[in-house]
Amino acid sequence: MRAAPACVVFAACAVLLPGAASARASASLDGGTVVFFSDTLALIARDGATLTLADGTRARADAAYIDLKTDRAVLAGHARVVRGSEAVSADAIALELDGDRVDLLDASTGVSRTTRRLGAATAAEFDAERFSFPDVDDRSAFIRSRHATITPHADVRFKPAAFPTSIGGLPVPSYLYTYATGAGFGATSLAGATFDQPYGLFGTQTSLTALHARWEDGPGPAVALQQQVVSGDDAYAAVSLDQPLRGYSVHGFNAYRRLGTRYSAEADASGTIYGTVMHGALTAAFGAAGGRMDYTRTTAGASSYTASLRTPDEPLPGGLTWRLTGSTGFDAQRGGLLFELPDAHNYSTVWRKGLDLFVATPVVHVPFGATLATTVDAARTWYAFPHAFDTLSATATASRAFSKKVTLFAGYQSTWSADIYPGTQTLFYPTPITPLLLPDGTPYYGYAAFTGARTFRSQNVDLQVTPDPNTAYRLSVVHTSDFPQFDGFGRPVWEVRGDVRFRPFPNIGLDVGRAYDFAWGGTRWQPRWSFAITP
Amino acid sequence: MSPAIVIIAAAAVSLFRIVPLACDGDRLVVAGAGVLRLADGVSCAGIVPGRAIAVALDDAGRATPQRLSSDALPTAKIPRTAYVLAPAVQRDADETTLVTSTIDVLVPARTPPSDDIYLSTERTSWSPAEVRMDRVDARHFRLALRLHRGARVAFRVTRGSYGTTERDAARTLPPAHIAVGEPDAHITVVIPAWADID
Repeated sequence: MRAAPACVVFAACAVLLPGAASARASASLDGGTVVFFSDTLALIARDGATLTLADGTRARADAAYIDLKTDRAVLAGHARVVRGSEAVSADAIALELDGDRVDLLDASTGVSRTTRRLGAATAAEFDAERFSFPDVDDRSAFIRSRHATITPHADVRFKPAAFPTSIGGLPVPSYLYTYATGAGFGATSLAGATFDQPYGLFGTQTSLTALHARWEDGPGPAVALQQQVVSGDDAYAAVSLDQPLRGYSVHGFNAYRRLGTRYSAEADASGTIYGTVMHGALTAAFGAAGGRMDYTRTTAGASSYTASLRTPDEPLPGGLTWRLTGSTGFDAQRGGLLFELPDAHNYSTVWRKGLDLFVATPVVHVPFGATLATTVDAARTWYAFPHAFDTLSATATASRAFSKKVTLFAGYQSTWSADIYPGTQTLFYPTPITPLLLPDGTPYYGYAAFTGARTFRSQNVDLQVTPDPNTAYRLSVVHTSDFPQFDGFGRPVWEVRGDVRFRPFPNIGLDVGRAYDFAWGGTRWQPRWSFAITP
Repeated sequence: MSPAIVIIAAAAVSLFRIVPLACDGDRLVVAGAGVLRLADGVSCAGIVPGRAIAVALDDAGRATPQRLSSDALPTAKIPRTAYVLAPAVQRDADETTLVTSTIDVLVPARTPPSDDIYLSTERTSWSPAEVRMDRVDARHFRLALRLHRGARVAFRVTRGSYGTTERDAARTLPPAHIAVGEPDAHITVVIPAWADID
């Protein structure tokens, strides 16, 4: 990434980072065993529990439970809380990590209440909710540890951490579990990967630094570092460095800010040894209608701008809907955009305008107990240079449920496009003098018929079986019939894919996919894997 | 036998699953409930705070610890009269079992028909392809999550990458949806748009 964009990126982060640095851990929990349940955010210490709060308060009990949703703690059995020279004891004690209220439950005398200063307690109402303790099986815990450090509403760090399964655990010295729900914690400036497992390093209520173990299409294994800074659901910034073990590194930046109820702004950038691509966008909503502006620029001298307005989805008879989108903008390239022309330098910027009409049917019932939904999309783009680009797309998806567990799907997708240069078509799509040679050396004579009009057609059949909530099988067969397409040029003609989602252990799920491309490009079949771990 | 006698007889043999908070002398503190009196001759030995056990209540409401069994009733079923110290506000949740929470997602018509739909949750630091949903029809996806009762799982919907995360009607990032761990819990999420498809 060049110096100027990098400075912008880091300046943006610096503006937000002071807020991130202010949060700190407010409690720690120790025990012979500390178990954590990710769905209930329940933290339980057994075999002797010690809770230490940020103000110096220390509590001991036979067991302890912290509800991270409410930041309340329950100390069970021989409970004792000490702060400075003051101390209270009871059969059970309920207190708040960040609050002042302390409830004492004595099995003989009932409930009394004091404050975190641990002054004289007064009789209080017995609220059983404050003295709850989850009835859970430790074998289904997500994490097992001995020490947990809590930053309320943000994260818990476990030292060490094991992920118990029915066949044992996978221990790591330290693990940061983030449960903050701000939208920015889901943001990433990393490119998509076949597999991406984040490992939190440092976190606060508004930031997270994480290492990512990745498997990327092409480069293979990679390690990435990402810093996120978040302001609730309203703003975030993410900066990343992705370094494949073989290949070049990729720098990424991504930021978002909501500007009132109608507007939002976004920016992103990605840099490699080949240059940097920067993009900014502004989105607006006007009732159910809306607009958007996008600007993209590369360090190679290319840029584009598009401003668009769309209507709401308007109803038609029969439950159909339509929507019209109009756009205008330009494409630019330093040195000339239309490089096929002898005077290309005169066309460094070409303006354009476009219209897109989208029509969709609802999901309707059709014979044989099936359902069907279809869409049609027609678009034309006019350029300031004599040039137009047309697309016409149609999709149809049918489904038939044979039982609650078995469903069959069939789909058809077709897109036709034409790149039209009135009077200069052969200049932009010349007939090849020699036949196009494919990677395996096969000549593709039919390519001579390609003069700017493309067709993409695919048909698919999917069988989905879901025997129980944790298990799903899916078998898909896809056939494509495109132009141009031939023996390794374009999409494979046949693909078969299998996906299995299952839960081999109580706290770990797997989603494994395997795809085969058949008889394409000189290879009999080309397998591909996909893999994901779910909690 | 009159109905009243039947009820008393049933109560005399019923087992209740509890989590003890503490046991002192002849008093047994039940988590989320009240304080029971132990039956004559029964001690606190073997009762570990925070570890679930079963108790049998005799006709006087006195408790005797028992081996856990699958037919034990939840704590909320313990008669209020059995408590020597009863709460003013009783907890009515049974967290002993996993429950199924169903999430239905309706996607916009502009969604590419070959795309899978995923849930992204806090459980994986918001991995955008955490759990693949099952397709119901062209624009309807479903996932049944097994959650502990009382759970609250924040989630968002994606098409497998952060660049394809859901957007609200104003095309801004919506707050996370919440799936709750209650029996037969059900939430329907209507996606107005995607980040990459306006």
